[in-house]
Amino acid sequence: MNGIQLSRLPLSGRIFCTLLLLGIGSGALAAFAQASTAVGVSPAAVQASLAPDLPMTGMQHGEPGGEKEIDLGQISSEAKMTIRTPLLIQTSHTHLFGQTLIAGLIGLIFLFTSVREGTKAAIVALPFLGTFLDIGGMWATRFISPALSMLVIAGGTLFALGYVLIAALSIRDLWFRKEAA
Amino acid sequence: MTIRLVLLLCAFAGAALAHVTPPIILTSDRDAITTLLPGARRHFVHEVRLTEEERETIQLESGWRPEEDFYRFYIGRDEQLQDVGAVAFLTQYTIHGPVRVAVGLAPDGKIKGALVVELSEETYPWVKTAIDSGLLRSFAGRDAHAPFPRAAGGSSMSGFYSDIIAGLVRRAALVYEAGVLKRQRR
Repeated sequence: MNGIQLSRLPLSGRIFCTLLLLGIGSGALAAFAQASTAVGVSPAAVQASLAPDLPMTGMQHGEPGGEKEIDLGQISSEAKMTIRTPLLIQTSHTHLFGQTLIAGLIGLIFLFTSVREGTKAAIVALPFLGTFLDIGGMWATRFISPALSMLVIAGGTLFALGYVLIAALSIRDLWFRKEAA
Repeated sequence: MTIRLVLLLCAFAGAALAHVTPPIILTSDRDAITTLLPGARRHFVHEVRLTEEERETIQLESGWRPEEDFYRFYIGRDEQLQDVGAVAFLTQYTIHGPVRVAVGLAPDGKIKGALVVELSEETYPWVKTAIDSGLLRSFAGRDAHAPFPRAAGGSSMSGFYSDIIAGLVRRAALVYEAGVLKRQRR
């Protein structure tokens, strides 16, 4: 693009781009591990953390109270976090900034690969779309329907797919592509 | 030019990521209930929706207005179905992340004990200092109307989070009194 190609970068530029891609990949793996231990990476786990808390006693709207015997097995024995609206706001603002900037940084490197323009446009959009789907899915799960928790998983998958394609194609161009004279 | 742009974006990304505070879960809900209700053989969920009058009474007394649609207590009973105690979970969202506390209450509304269930990586050192100095033990035997202590020593942030935790413990006692005890007496 504009005469700049990854395969023509000097050694310092290639090292910078490679380490940045690897660093972000490591960060993404750590984020995945953190998400899987704190919340879980299945739609059911996301739903349990994000969906509105409904009465366990079947207490209807307007009723002053209710009581029901339970088995302690019904209470989670796992140390899982619950995400209520104030935490959702906090998480959204940090992740929208953070993930969008990450998508922007890796996308910027990817713009200088030799991939065809149409393919490049599709791949560079993936991490951005994944971010919007991920964070939007959290709000949708909480305020529209718990069934939409699958959007969070789809968003995370899309972000990861975008990262893998961007990193693989960029590293191919940085280190393995022989430029025709 | 391109490299300058990349470096600038890196700086922004670093600043944004620095604000992410991963949660730390210290215990599961089930473990907290078991710990705070020793001797309970049967467990019940008791949920209360406070009336406008009950909310106002609490606000007048404590300055805090309960805003949740309903509050949940886990009640422990023995084989004869006598109350052993109750546990409530309350959360406060602070600028440094959430603090979630489990509060054990005796049948007369006095505090039996408290556990910090969830906090953030950022608040952990401050809260740990407060716990280590005996904050949680100091609540035992108090009711919603007794003055609540602060942790001795520690940083001002530790004191700030001691107040947050003490506030949550007191709120649990206030809601239990208004939503369970006073209703039983009527």
